[in-house]
Amino acid sequence: MSPDAHDSTASTVSEARLLSVLDTAVDGILVIDERARILVYNKACESLFGYAPGEALGQSIRLIMPSDYAAAHDGYMESYKRTGTRKIIGIGREVRGRHKDGTEFPVELSVGETTTPEGRQFIGIIRDLRSRKEQERRLNELQADLVHMARVSAMDEMGAALAHELNQPLTAIMLYLQAATRAMARMEQGAAGAPDIFRQVLDKAVHEAERAGNIISRMRHFVEKREPQRRPVDLNSVAEEAVELVMLGLRGPGRMVRDLDRNLPAAIIDPVQIQQILVNLLRNAIEAVKDRPDPTVSIRTARRSDMLTVTVQDNGPGLKPEVLPTLFKAFSSSKRTGMGLGLSISRTIAQNHAGDLTVDPGGDGRGAAFTLHLPVIENVDTVESAAGGTGDEESSGRGQPGVTP
Amino acid sequence: MAIHILEDDPGVSDSLRLFLQGLGHDAFVYPDAESFFEADPPGADDTIIVDLNLPGISGAQVIVWLRTLAEPPRVVAITGQSQTVIEKLRASLGDVMVLRKPLSSRILADIV
Ligand SMILES: Nc1ncnc2c1ncn2[C@@H]1O[C@H](COP(=O)(O)OP(=O)(O)OP(=O)(O)O)[C@@H](O)[C@H]1O
Ligand SMILES: [Mg+2]
Repeated sequence: MSPDAHDSTASTVSEARLLSVLDTAVDGILVIDERARILVYNKACESLFGYAPGEALGQSIRLIMPSDYAAAHDGYMESYKRTGTRKIIGIGREVRGRHKDGTEFPVELSVGETTTPEGRQFIGIIRDLRSRKEQERRLNELQADLVHMARVSAMDEMGAALAHELNQPLTAIMLYLQAATRAMARMEQGAAGAPDIFRQVLDKAVHEAERAGNIISRMRHFVEKREPQRRPVDLNSVAEEAVELVMLGLRGPGRMVRDLDRNLPAAIIDPVQIQQILVNLLRNAIEAVKDRPDPTVSIRTARRSDMLTVTVQDNGPGLKPEVLPTLFKAFSSSKRTGMGLGLSISRTIAQNHAGDLTVDPGGDGRGAAFTLHLPVIENVDTVESAAGGTGDEESSGRGQPGVTP
Repeated sequence: MAIHILEDDPGVSDSLRLFLQGLGHDAFVYPDAESFFEADPPGADDTIIVDLNLPGISGAQVIVWLRTLAEPPRVVAITGQSQTVIEKLRASLGDVMVLRKPLSSRILADIV
């Protein structure tokens, strides 16, 4: 292949055949020598990188690399030749390429090595990842939309209860303000103690207004559309937030037992999506116990070796055997108003987090128990609470320590 | 005459009490029906304000019980529930006045 290897017709014929094979390949194929000069540059490379063979052959491979790689590449080759440590050869990985017009794009690069009489040569096969990336992006977007839609639908079903919950602080605010007006009138008449009462009553009104605000921000935090994100979060605070949300407007009989292991390491999760799973499980459980004499739902967090778990258990009738086979399938609901999306979306979210959602169906006097499993990620030192529910959105989103950009 | 408030939401019951006291009434607060039953039975000229959505014994059950008294007091029910829920309870509520939350202070002042 090198200029001085042209001494026999046999080799010329086989070389021509080889070049035509190279040119029919869909992937870009390059050969470079030990000094990183381009020796072979096939047709696919032309369309990938925009250089004609005449412009590329004999040039350094840096021609088609983004400048940050180009700077490091000489060092890599040098260190490989000296130490034999392979960073890419025989492994293959995702890198960026650079087109003649300067645009950079993702490619999958696999590199092989051969020894020739002229020294070592490296062969690179380059696959364009742009369309695959685009498909992945669209798929992720669709999935995120679906997950979000399920959250909105859950909030829709909880809407009446939440409106009820807002009526409480609104009633209190109105009555406190009436009481304040009256204290004000007495203040003007010089009544002793009236200023104190006035101040106290206003403080109480403020407190109730905050309570109303918290209900709204809890709801908003849950339904707002946002980019999926992963960050280190305290799983217990996600569990508490989920309980608070389903308990809004849900009073009357029934117990909610929280059994939270306070020594859990942080979980790297999308807190709103994990909250969504727990809200689903809690609502299903509450629904299952509603006709029981002593309705009880419990939520428990724990660590089991390399997994963090959250278990939602109820003392309802357990799962009917006939619903089990399709339990985690979409649109399998036994309820009149249910979409039957809750569990299928919950399991998808769990699996996207490298975790799972499992069930102990119970029955014969035992209620169902659903367990969410999430992997433990070691060496996370900065933990955030789930935040956002009660705090303001700004401060919860800003400065996320421990997350690489 | 006294006003007895059966309401489990501390913000609502406290503000109601302050409001009614401001109007010059004696007002007493009970977080549930059970503690109301433990106190002396209300007099004929008392007023009971009862939340329909109490934990434990429900507001509707309290209203049924009050009607069995020899001299039943005046009863006003309050609730944040929807109209459909109220209609379902109609049978046990009888002709009791139902105020929906958020309560209007003017209507409350007119009633008591
Ligand atoms: N804790 C439980 N106890 C008994 N049955 C349950 C429990 N959780 C779920 N199920 C059963 O599993 C079915 C599917 O639950 P899933 O959450 O996927 O849908 P859904 O609650 O019916 O509707 P959606 O959540 O979309 O409003 C339910 O209809 C119910 O029959
Ligand atoms: Mg459900």
